Amino acid sequence: MRAALFSIVPYERPSRPRGWPVPADDYSAEVAQASMERALDSFAVADQLGFDWISVAEHHYAPGSLTPNPMVMAAAVIQRVKRAKIALLGSNIPIQNPVRVAEEFAMLDTLSGGRVIAGMLRGTSNEYVTYGVNPAESRERFIEALRLIVAAWTEPQPFGWMGRYYDYRTISIWPRPVQTPHPEIFMSISSPEMAEFAAAHRISAGLAVTTVPRARESVEVYRAAARQHGWDPPPEQVLHRAAVHVAGSDAEAWADCAPFATPDRPVGALSMANPAIDEAVAGAGYYGRDTAQQRERIMAAGDLRERIDTGQILAGSPDTVLQQASAIRRELGAGVLELAFIGPTPDKRRRSLELFGTQVLPRMREL
Amino acid sequence: MSFVEHTVTADGFDIRYVAAGDGPPLVCLHGAGGLRLSRAHELLARTHRVIAFEAPGFGESPANERSASLRELAATMLAGVDALGVGDTFDLCGTSFGAKLALWLAIDAPDRLGALVLASPAAIRLPGTRPPEDPAEMMAILYQHPERVPPSAPPSPEVVAKQLTLVERLIGPARDEELETAMRTLTVPTLVMFGTEDRLTPPELGRHYPELLPHAHLVLIYDAAHALDVDRPEAFAALVADFLEQRGQFVVRRTSGLLYP
Repeated sequence: MRAALFSIVPYERPSRPRGWPVPADDYSAEVAQASMERALDSFAVADQLGFDWISVAEHHYAPGSLTPNPMVMAAAVIQRVKRAKIALLGSNIPIQNPVRVAEEFAMLDTLSGGRVIAGMLRGTSNEYVTYGVNPAESRERFIEALRLIVAAWTEPQPFGWMGRYYDYRTISIWPRPVQTPHPEIFMSISSPEMAEFAAAHRISAGLAVTTVPRARESVEVYRAAARQHGWDPPPEQVLHRAAVHVAGSDAEAWADCAPFATPDRPVGALSMANPAIDEAVAGAGYYGRDTAQQRERIMAAGDLRERIDTGQILAGSPDTVLQQASAIRRELGAGVLELAFIGPTPDKRRRSLELFGTQVLPRMREL
Repeated sequence: MSFVEHTVTADGFDIRYVAAGDGPPLVCLHGAGGLRLSRAHELLARTHRVIAFEAPGFGESPANERSASLRELAATMLAGVDALGVGDTFDLCGTSFGAKLALWLAIDAPDRLGALVLASPAAIRLPGTRPPEDPAEMMAILYQHPERVPPSAPPSPEVVAKQLTLVERLIGPARDEELETAMRTLTVPTLVMFGTEDRLTPPELGRHYPELLPHAHLVLIYDAAHALDVDRPEAFAALVADFLEQRGQFVVRRTSGLLYP
């Protein structure tokens, strides 16, 4: 089993919840600079510890994440991370210019010598407000943008694209991706529509902002659809994202984690930071044919025990966390565990990262 | 916009055609399945005089055993255009089999064309591909959106067999060296379109055309199978109309992005 260090690069100063979008009236450039520097430093440490991937992602207008353009962050990561792959999980392609996304991925693949993993996501519900894209069109835009990005990577002659949402008269990107035919694509399979699309196009599957029981249902849809299309996804094409905290003992780790698992912190904290916006985006048809389940998934909260039991948080001693990882491998057939390190202080998070890297990661290889 | 049916006598054939609209002439040559109109033709007839020919040997016309080659049939089609008196130059649009026919016409009368449009051209094919014989399979290969197919009576089995015999006799090899050599000399502005879902002439074949035709512009029509004009009529007509008006300058956007003056 492989491990990825995931960070949305939070602005590291405690603040009360302020909804979304978050005002910048008490913004500190020093805090932001230090937060980015600390993130880059932890990525370099993870690279040295043997993590397989470093992952960054796109979120907007809130201190929860300082990487609204994860491509820019990835370019910085590449300067510090010399061995691990660089995963973007993801670029929110329906709200972007897909040709620009194709160009940026190709640049990163060239800068990194072919180490890019191209995650493509729809983004959280509030993201549709960021650049004024109609959330009702999100799914169709996603599918078309993904197809267009692949064409931009692979077509050797200049070509135009007469799409439903995109109209380009001539495309011929430079540089080209290093990996052939193109970097591996991951996408979310949390909704049944997208699980079926990913399976039909042999795209790798990502599961995030979810629980293992819910993820198992999604993986079953994905695997069944894949079989219909004549293939069987190997474990390395299934990724599960969770939070993690490793400490010297279970008791210490759980005490550290308690503040991160309170009923006012839903799994989909970003989507739910402004419930009125999520409500409106949901009303526009963003969540698709199983809206109720999708919103339930995002609003799920629960105490620490429940979150550990459902694979949202891995927490405990190195031995305990290894067992929790093993359960995810077994339950989902997931070959990639993508981990966001939570912990009450930077020092505790660093120790947790090192404990994971030295005492869990080597044994995860056997799973 | 309703198309009116006519017949013109040229090169010893009585050639059926349908026409509608005013404006610069756009001559259309159909694919191996014969003449059919789509909503795209109606949209193009708003800005052009659209003239869609039925090549001799297709539809209800007598079997064509006289045309010895596609190149010869192209000369017949040019005689048909001339018999209509459309003027010194006209624009030409060929679909699939008709695109190869259009290429021969362009090669032999390069000064007559203002612009050339090739829709899902079958001038270059994957070796061994031929259209399926099963009608349901044929529907699936032609259309990504069968719900958009205009209602019409299917041709009789005799017509289908007659057309197939003619197409197989004239279509030529999957890679036609004589044609490809001649294509390199063609300077007419050419729009080449392939559907992203086309399994008969898959979009990967598109890249050959800019290699062979120095003035070609390749455009992929998203969410369309082989019958581009049926699957995406609005996109097809908008793109073709823009290309016919602007030629190679169609790459420059002229629609305004201004939201609120």
